[in-house]
Amino acid sequence: MASYTIRRLIQAIPIVIGISVISFAIVYLTPGNFVDKFRTGRVSEATIQNLIHVYGLDQPLPVQFWKWFTNFWTFPVNNLAWGFSFTDGQPVRDLIFARIPATLLLMGTSLLVTIVLAIPIGIMQAVKQYSWADKIITTLETIGYAMPTFWLGLILKQLFSVQLKLFPLYGMQTLGKHGDIPDILAHLVLPVTTLAVIQVAGWSRYMRASMLEVMRQDFIRTARSKGLASSQVIRKHALRNALIPIVTLLGLTIPSLLSGAAITETVFSWPGLGYLGVTSVIERDYPVVLAVVMIGGVMVILGNLLADIAYAVVDPRIHY
Amino acid sequence: MQTTAVNTIAPAPTPARAANPDELLDIEGLKTYFATANGLVKAVDGVSLQIRQARTLGVVGESGSGKSITALSVMRLIERPGRIVAGQVRFAGQDILKLKDDDMREIRGNQISMIFQEPMTSLNPVFTCGDQIAEAVLRHRGGSKKAAMLRAVDMLSQVGIPDPKRRAKQYPHELSGGMRQRVMIAMALSTNPELLIADEPTTALDVTIQAQILELMKALREQNRMAIMLITHDLGVVAEMSDDVTVMYAGKVVEATDALTLFDTPHNPYTKGLLASIPRLGEHRERLEVIKGVVPNPLNLPSGCLFKRRCPYAMPICDVAPPLRQIGENHVSRCWLTPDGGKPEIGEAPLKAEAEASSASLTVEAR
Amino acid sequence: MTTEGIRLGQPGISLPVGTPTGEVDEVDLVPVQTYWQLVRRRFLQNRLAVIAFVLMIVLVVASIAFPILGGNLWFTTSLTHGPTDPVSLAAPLGYDNDGINIFFRLMRGLQTSLSIGFFAVLIIAGIGTAVGSVAGYAGGRIDNLLMRLVDIVLSLPGLFLVLMFVAFLGSGSALVIIFAIGLTGWTTAARLVRAEFLRLRESDFVQAAKALGASDSRIVIRHMIPSALAPVVVASTLGIADAVVTEAALSFLGLGLLPPEASLGNMLTHAQDYFYRQPLWIYYPGIMLILVVLAASFLGDGLRDALDPRQRIEA
Repeated sequence: MASYTIRRLIQAIPIVIGISVISFAIVYLTPGNFVDKFRTGRVSEATIQNLIHVYGLDQPLPVQFWKWFTNFWTFPVNNLAWGFSFTDGQPVRDLIFARIPATLLLMGTSLLVTIVLAIPIGIMQAVKQYSWADKIITTLETIGYAMPTFWLGLILKQLFSVQLKLFPLYGMQTLGKHGDIPDILAHLVLPVTTLAVIQVAGWSRYMRASMLEVMRQDFIRTARSKGLASSQVIRKHALRNALIPIVTLLGLTIPSLLSGAAITETVFSWPGLGYLGVTSVIERDYPVVLAVVMIGGVMVILGNLLADIAYAVVDPRIHY
Repeated sequence: MQTTAVNTIAPAPTPARAANPDELLDIEGLKTYFATANGLVKAVDGVSLQIRQARTLGVVGESGSGKSITALSVMRLIERPGRIVAGQVRFAGQDILKLKDDDMREIRGNQISMIFQEPMTSLNPVFTCGDQIAEAVLRHRGGSKKAAMLRAVDMLSQVGIPDPKRRAKQYPHELSGGMRQRVMIAMALSTNPELLIADEPTTALDVTIQAQILELMKALREQNRMAIMLITHDLGVVAEMSDDVTVMYAGKVVEATDALTLFDTPHNPYTKGLLASIPRLGEHRERLEVIKGVVPNPLNLPSGCLFKRRCPYAMPICDVAPPLRQIGENHVSRCWLTPDGGKPEIGEAPLKAEAEASSASLTVEAR
Repeated sequence: MTTEGIRLGQPGISLPVGTPTGEVDEVDLVPVQTYWQLVRRRFLQNRLAVIAFVLMIVLVVASIAFPILGGNLWFTTSLTHGPTDPVSLAAPLGYDNDGINIFFRLMRGLQTSLSIGFFAVLIIAGIGTAVGSVAGYAGGRIDNLLMRLVDIVLSLPGLFLVLMFVAFLGSGSALVIIFAIGLTGWTTAARLVRAEFLRLRESDFVQAAKALGASDSRIVIRHMIPSALAPVVVASTLGIADAVVTEAALSFLGLGLLPPEASLGNMLTHAQDYFYRQPLWIYYPGIMLILVVLAASFLGDGLRDALDPRQRIEA
């Protein structure tokens, strides 16, 4: 297993390089120059040229790339590793690190809620296939899955925030109440619900399909032929097998832990990484954009690796 | 080698009373139907057979003849869209079709065990072999996990798996097909059942392994005084293992007798066709014998005798479905031909009356 | 050698085994149908898929007909009409604060969203099939290289890529949006096509074609692509749902189509500004979106079930 992990990590390197190149290219090859932002008419041309020199924009592109790339990975110790934000001049790394906890809180909570709800629902649907409950829930699942996140977020905001005044409208904390846990929880409810509705819809369908697939297998018939009770057949024999794809799904969800909730965060003005990414794109804050995209990409690669490892751990048939 | 653990596992307690103590399994008029999207499939349509204590019954037929479904019906493992719609299945005198689910589960895996065709997929891939055997023991005999595991290891050695302690800790995918089938046998026999139902146990294995498994089964049935319902399409296997044989076609029994008589003097044209189509060593032939035609589509069965379109002896009377008729002392056949194979002399009316009388007596409502 | 009505190497044909060459009673045979007849039959038996299909047709027709009927109504402001006007036949959903007829604007938005979705999916299918077929057929190093490319594109966070494309290359342009979604979304289709090609490459009928001397390109185009199209069609149908939602998200964020252009997304943005006083306005574009997604999803599922020859057992 260790050798497999190392092999995969080594294999990941060209992919990381690939995403670096592409991200860099998209950002640096856009029409217009970085510094066009600063041509406000009050800034002299000389200053602009100076800026270009300071930012190293007059260097050939490969050189720029190399400098940026090598600098990028020093982030654990170097807080200037990702440059400075164009919008407010802060070191990008600090900006991002400040946002990570908020995103983790949001994604972590919704993931937890999803698992706690989706797995039992999916199991129940598979066991009681074709029943009324199954059909109703399937309909709900389909509608839930079809809803765009931002629309659901809007609706929830309107219903619970504006009309019923139950939950706060946006943000993570109310001013002046920093660190107050109940306050944070209150702010957490609506965004988590938005995310969870759609995720639960998707995951329970997946769980149901996986369960159904497993229950069709021969070894389930063998288990029944041993005289085991239905509940034991399901709980022990079927579930253990049906959860295997879910574990891989979990691994694949990890990348979105950091950037997946971008739209939801935007709708609720939740101060997370996704929101930062979206605003920085709109504001053409290229250093931040670049950093966010890179982080997203690396997380995907790590997430895939984790999913594969988890798969091997959970399924004894797989060994690398 | 027998260890003390074996002696602590008692054979299954036999039920209180048995109508005919000699007959362990008595299936009468079993009908199992499937309501599919394309129509009603009568997979098992009025099947009756008996198995006596410690005897082996071979159930022979092509794919689709209903033999597997019969076995699953006995175990009450039929799931939707299938349903047992009629008949009785008496095990040691008790009609197990009428039992409550909980009571049936006491019998399943305990007094009646079943092994299946595909050893590759019949074992749970995420549990060790030992675990799966021990599970059966724990379920029906209780006791500690350690004792159950000891029993599992012992069973593994009984079925001829070398180094059983190590194998018990392995997962199914680490074993070959033949070994997996041995594990299945070990699992089925771990509770000392009185009846073992074996659904094509050797079909998925190659011939040399097949021979080994059959030898194993013979040894074990001898040792445990076990009755076996052996389902197969391979007449060679039947000849090797069975005391009695029942031949099935398109959901019905078409011939039943003891093995010697079947191979020596078969009566039903279908049976004769099956036997004739086996190539024999040393024979000089130009073409293989085949049974003309194809197995009827279960959604589109012909009226009258189901075999009539393929039968070399077909007569006008075959438009009336023949009942099972006594051909010899322990020999029945579903055919209008006389016991010595000739065309019936008597006219249509008496034969029709016989058909109606027989079909009336076969209709026994189950649950 | 082909028998009438049967094509080599396809699933779902139920000819009984062991049919001898002598006379065979017709009563015993199951009627033989071509692959596409079976597919159509399976599809039509699936009520949900048929409903979805009808819904899709309705949506498409509505998105074409109403804008033509309404002409300029979707952006014509008016001083005489406003949100307080009651619902009427001419304006089933009323008027917004600028006096624009909401229903016709909605239909126009539907048209825009559907067309963007459709063309984006076309690009996805095109690139995906091209890359996947080359990778699957050629194998070896080319395959490896292309799959690395797929891995790279897949690793990049999709939404951000699209955002960046659109923001940097010009927001407000439908063309840019189409390309953005298309260039970032082709990876799944490529993988599906590649998988099919890998499978088909070893199949008997391809071997047979090779043995008969067919050139590589002929094999690929005439024999393999039609078979591989099935998963692409399914993925594309499901992809329409994705594309439409992505476009809506873009417009919602202000990076997609901007007013006075109508898109379901920017209608939502507009409605958001008014949701204190006009709570209903967010529901119209939202429900439209949901309908499109539902129709496309069920249609895609239905197509997949119809094209996959596994049996379905009735309850």
